Amino acid sequence: MVSQLQAQDGVEGIGYPNSSGDLSSEMEVDAFRRLFPLRFFERHLSESIRPDGRPLGRARDTTLALGAVASANGSALVKIGLTTMLAAIKMEVMTPLKESPDEGCIAVEFHMPPICSPLVRPGRPAEVAPVVSKQFSGMIDLKDLSLVSGKAAWMAYLDIYCLDADGSLFDAALLSAVAAFSHLQIPVVSMNDEGRVIVVSEENDGGGDAVNKEKRKLRLCRTPISLTCILHKNYILADPTAEEESIMETLVTVVLDSSDQLVSLYKPGGPALAHTSSVQDCIALTRQRVKEVQTIFDETISGMEVD
Amino acid sequence: MAGKAGATPTTYTPSPKTQRKKPPIFKNDDVDWVRPDGRGFHQCRPAFFRTGAVNAAAGSAYAEFGNTKVIVSVFGPRESKKAMMYSDIGRLNCNVSYTTFATPIRGQGSDNKEFSSMLHKALEGAIMLETFPKTTVDVFALVLESGGSDLPVVISCASVALADAGIMMYDLVASVSVSCLGKNIVIDPVLEEESYQDGSLMITCMPSRYEVTQLTITGEWSTPKINEGMQLCLDACSKLANIMRSCLKEAASASDE
Amino acid sequence: MEIDRIDGRTRNQLRPLACSRNVLNRAHGSASWSQGDTKVLAAVYGPKAGTKKNENPEKACIEVIWKAKTGQSAILKNFLMDLGKLEKEYEMILKRTLQSICILTVNPNTTTTIIVQVVHDDGALLPCAINAACAAFVDAGIPLKHLAGNKTYGCLQFIPLFKECFLTNALVCAVAICCGLVESGYVILDPTKLEEQKMKAFTYLVFPNSVLSVLPEGSLQEEGEPVEHGIITSVTQGAMGVDDYFHCLERGRATCEKMSAFLRRSLQPQTPK
Repeated sequence: MVSQLQAQDGVEGIGYPNSSGDLSSEMEVDAFRRLFPLRFFERHLSESIRPDGRPLGRARDTTLALGAVASANGSALVKIGLTTMLAAIKMEVMTPLKESPDEGCIAVEFHMPPICSPLVRPGRPAEVAPVVSKQFSGMIDLKDLSLVSGKAAWMAYLDIYCLDADGSLFDAALLSAVAAFSHLQIPVVSMNDEGRVIVVSEENDGGGDAVNKEKRKLRLCRTPISLTCILHKNYILADPTAEEESIMETLVTVVLDSSDQLVSLYKPGGPALAHTSSVQDCIALTRQRVKEVQTIFDETISGMEVD
Repeated sequence: MAGKAGATPTTYTPSPKTQRKKPPIFKNDDVDWVRPDGRGFHQCRPAFFRTGAVNAAAGSAYAEFGNTKVIVSVFGPRESKKAMMYSDIGRLNCNVSYTTFATPIRGQGSDNKEFSSMLHKALEGAIMLETFPKTTVDVFALVLESGGSDLPVVISCASVALADAGIMMYDLVASVSVSCLGKNIVIDPVLEEESYQDGSLMITCMPSRYEVTQLTITGEWSTPKINEGMQLCLDACSKLANIMRSCLKEAASASDE
Repeated sequence: MEIDRIDGRTRNQLRPLACSRNVLNRAHGSASWSQGDTKVLAAVYGPKAGTKKNENPEKACIEVIWKAKTGQSAILKNFLMDLGKLEKEYEMILKRTLQSICILTVNPNTTTTIIVQVVHDDGALLPCAINAACAAFVDAGIPLKHLAGNKTYGCLQFIPLFKECFLTNALVCAVAICCGLVESGYVILDPTKLEEQKMKAFTYLVFPNSVLSVLPEGSLQEEGEPVEHGIITSVTQGAMGVDDYFHCLERGRATCEKMSAFLRRSLQPQTPK
């Protein structure tokens, strides 16, 4: 089927061979896009452009807003094109485990609420929920989360909500998570006589010494940034939209950190095989994206400081 | 991704030390106290609406009233489930859920059944269900941050989202609540006020038709107070509907250009 | 240089492989696969009529049910991910991998269910499960893509071969202490659970089976590389250098051929049923 379509790439006029040559010229672009989505895309790809006007290797416009939710200790809203993610961190106190008395804990959860896509229904979780949690292993020194050795440590609950699903969910989720960590302000706390941890308010810090005056921020040892690409024939499309993902099914997600280490290369099956050259191309595109995202990051953070 | 054990350890939110000593926001016989955000008793929070917040939906709206932030998406009309009986009027399917970080204590009421059914009741009287027979319209709400008066905000936002989706309605549905605190009635209460309230009253209405689709009263109310509260709500509803309408007009004129 | 592993293997040595087909009576196809102490049982039911909701009815649908070994903790060190989620992820990877090797257009609007039962987990669980699943598919006669040098089947079948290799750092214990130390990584294959935990990073790779082809040389090449060099699935964990990853790829491919031969041997004798 695929090769059959490919053979027609050079043929002027759209639609199926011979029979519909006339029809295609009269057919509206929108109808053609719905009826023959693959042909529609391949026509674009052969011109090195995508239907939304992007070159193949370019990611969509990305915006970042820190502190979107006041009820959380740290939060960030990320938009990549239309895909929107909201990540927020809430800090709670737990008793550290016996085998690691000096370490806290991080729990990452990804949510696809029914508002984000017509495919998600309440009570039925989405099938493809990106697993962001793994990327954070080793990114944070868990000792930073310790409060009182053996008695109290932070449990950081990171919840990521997809508000609008339009492809490349993993990339947006990871970016929002990293941004939420950079925005995180850990409250100053002290331990009372009953062994419970309480918040020290800034006006009156009488009674009880703060146990974490120096540890108000969480440092990410490395910043993981990802880029999802579609492999389709010889084309590599960066940062696909939901429509592109549904038509061309082979996805490769590369995660690199700021020191150019490969954190993850994830390809869950898909009809196309990834050869060394295409893997290399994907990694090169990701490197470029890491630079882009870092600029956006720096701009957002310096913008925050001016305010 | 960290931590060691399989079972999630029990955790708690550190409470402010001062909480126990903190005085209530007003004293029992006090009539002249200041609201936590400095508003007058009969003054609503500034309301903000924006349509088209979720592109994947047929229609959507984002509403922000102070710290209360909600998103409502509308999907459909789509074919009703096969198991459902034939119906010559359309069905409405509502769901309200909270993010885990919406409330001061994490993870309370992620799926709010009570609000879901109240939202359904509030909207169903305003929608022309006969315009989409045999099909279902989904109205899904997500409360991003709970800052008080969540349900009225969700209902108003849902009606803007329905309008954005082009679902036929008799009128926009606006909703406002009041709380009774001691001798005072305060409109559009924030979370802190709601936690001290003696009673609450919520009206959902179609201001242009002067029709009420839903009225709920909880707690202790005297008849004159109910009348006063209802009048306050109805006045605020018609003002709110104007804001909602101007938001929709703006969106429509922007898309025309 | 040649560092022996705890169980006395060399770096490139696999644990003993065992594969038996048709182990269950009631299933339409079944297989058990073991690599050392890791053992997985897979059973295939179907294809039966109809697809699930949200699936494309113009294609065959594959449903994967992952059954973890009860009473065994599959929680990895430094992970707070409940078992359910890990299983869901494995199910999803397995499903996508199987989808990409099956010819889904032969039986449209059908559902094939595969149940994967973990018998014992001693490292390299996911690759082991993928192998078991593939063998079970062959046993059930589900049409698979590409080609196998196996003419006894009516249609061309192909068994994907996965291989997994693990990347370790020569100074495993030192990694956590000295940040950003020089990568002098070498690759070991088919690690046990104990080795897995000490690993700096590892990757699961799935390759197409190498082909005993009667077709002219080069006809199966894509982008100048043989088909069996293309990655079907790649899952990594832990940070590694980009070069290390390609090193893993190379190793994986080389070992793949050996495993291909083993698969072919163990699947052939039973074919006349």
